Amino acid sequence: MATEADRGGALLDVEGVVKRFGGIRAVDGASFGVAAGSIVALIGPNGAGKTTLFNAITGFQRADRGSVRLAGEEVLGLPAYAVARRGMVRTFQITRALAAMPVVDNMMLAAPAQPGERFRNLLLHPRAVRGREREVREEAIELLEVFGLRDLAGDYAGTLSGGQRKLLELARALMAQPKLLLLDEPMAGINPTLGRRLLDHMQRLRRERGMTFLFVEHDMDVVMGHSDRVIVMAAGRVIAEGEPRQVREDPAVVDAYLGGAA
Amino acid sequence: MSPLPLAFTLEAFTNFGFWSGVLVVAGIYAVVSLGLQLNVGYTGIVNFGQAGFMAVGGYSMAILVLEAGLSFWLALPAAVSITMAFGVLIGLPSLRLRADYFAIVTLATAEVVRLAAQNARGLTGGNKGLYCEFEAASQTCFDDSWRSLSDSILGFVENFWADPEPLLPLLIAIWTTVLVAILGLGYVQGTPWGRVLRAIREDEDAARALGKNTLLYKLQSLAISALLGALAGFFLALFLATIHPDDYEPIVTFFAFGVLILGGLASYRGVAIGAILLWTLLEGTRFVELPISEEKTAALRFAIVGVVLIVLMAFRPQGMFGKRQEMVLGD
Repeated sequence: MATEADRGGALLDVEGVVKRFGGIRAVDGASFGVAAGSIVALIGPNGAGKTTLFNAITGFQRADRGSVRLAGEEVLGLPAYAVARRGMVRTFQITRALAAMPVVDNMMLAAPAQPGERFRNLLLHPRAVRGREREVREEAIELLEVFGLRDLAGDYAGTLSGGQRKLLELARALMAQPKLLLLDEPMAGINPTLGRRLLDHMQRLRRERGMTFLFVEHDMDVVMGHSDRVIVMAAGRVIAEGEPRQVREDPAVVDAYLGGAA
Repeated sequence: MSPLPLAFTLEAFTNFGFWSGVLVVAGIYAVVSLGLQLNVGYTGIVNFGQAGFMAVGGYSMAILVLEAGLSFWLALPAAVSITMAFGVLIGLPSLRLRADYFAIVTLATAEVVRLAAQNARGLTGGNKGLYCEFEAASQTCFDDSWRSLSDSILGFVENFWADPEPLLPLLIAIWTTVLVAILGLGYVQGTPWGRVLRAIREDEDAARALGKNTLLYKLQSLAISALLGALAGFFLALFLATIHPDDYEPIVTFFAFGVLILGGLASYRGVAIGAILLWTLLEGTRFVELPISEEKTAALRFAIVGVVLIVLMAFRPQGMFGKRQEMVLGD
């Protein structure tokens, strides 16, 4: 818990995470912290290891070394579903809408504490299952309303546009009631209007629910305008960390983007 | 041989004996294919090993009765448990693999079961199989309890129907099972549990990212499929009054897939209709008379069924009850 205090109440504390693919160190000892209630951007040139880092800390790929603490609790080595249940939920660079399922089912799937997800309860506690299901449906519809997807609730998710899918994926991740949301390029491939709405949602969720965000982004205007802190990765390492203004002027960052490896 | 190039007697179709035979086999295939529907249509795991589960179910029931002296009615649930445990055992390592590797593992496992049965002569009778001789009334057989129940049902039916179809009790047992399975599976499919299965079918990583232990759900799906496989194995054994390795060849699984494709993916009642249609076609084409040898006609039956399947797929690729939109969006 000492580190948590050191980092000023870090919700996420990543230390020395290494992920190798054969001889390549895709993530080479990355360390950083994410304070509760902050919006943190993760940037870096292509191949810097941002997505691999996401995969490693969320349990989608087994890290070779390091430590990842979520609210002081070690989560590295846990399977992906267990990491998500502890409150760190991620989205994917390429949207993963469950295409042949209705939008509302996409949302309801994500709700936590559903007794009806256990086969045994279907037979033993059908009443509890139905009760929770009603609640979950209401929550889902409310959240869809917020994201302007209410009218599409009954449509197959596969019929949504790229931008709508991004919104759905964010809304769905929120259904899981995470403490920390990891968004992998949430703005990629969507039109500016929807992108702005997505950013507004992020800001509002932070304000209203104290939610914490870590997101990968390439658009520097978005990064500079919407994040409290920026983490810069290059060649698998964190080469700079700080407020957007500081980071922009950091020579190591300029070098990583314009020159060779840092 | 008929003088006409193609003659077709419809007489058989008005015969209850023909239909009871077709419906027994179709019902057995419906039970097997309901498990496949759960796996393939709703969970997205391609299980090529249903014949193996039928074999494990059938053989363990018979062996428990004949070798362990267990009563038939106790052997049934015991054999179901064995088959489900077997399914979980196979699934534990292989369900972590990619879908196509899993398919190969299940196919291979079913063949291992069949070949083991062929060679473990002490237990399974090897290539002789475990069969019941009708003449030797004194000899015990695995289906004695069923036969006496069946006879008393027939005795009761004789009050209303002078010469009842001997397959009637089995027919009732099989189609009751089909109906209960369709209702039960339909119910669980509409619950949050079923929703997780569909999410796995659509995108397993997305389901994991939302906190679902996908391996557990896939194992449950496979175990339920194994249960249905075991039930079908019992019915087949009771129908044939034998258990023989040849009855569990991979072709059984592929016929079950034929049923699935005909009925349509992600529809349980489609399975029942698909099974009836496939077996009406397969058995009905027996009566097609052509000016060629009987062996050639027999071979041609499958060609006819194949053509019907191709035509159906061309005009209705989603099968009879499948949802076209889900099929298109699924990829």
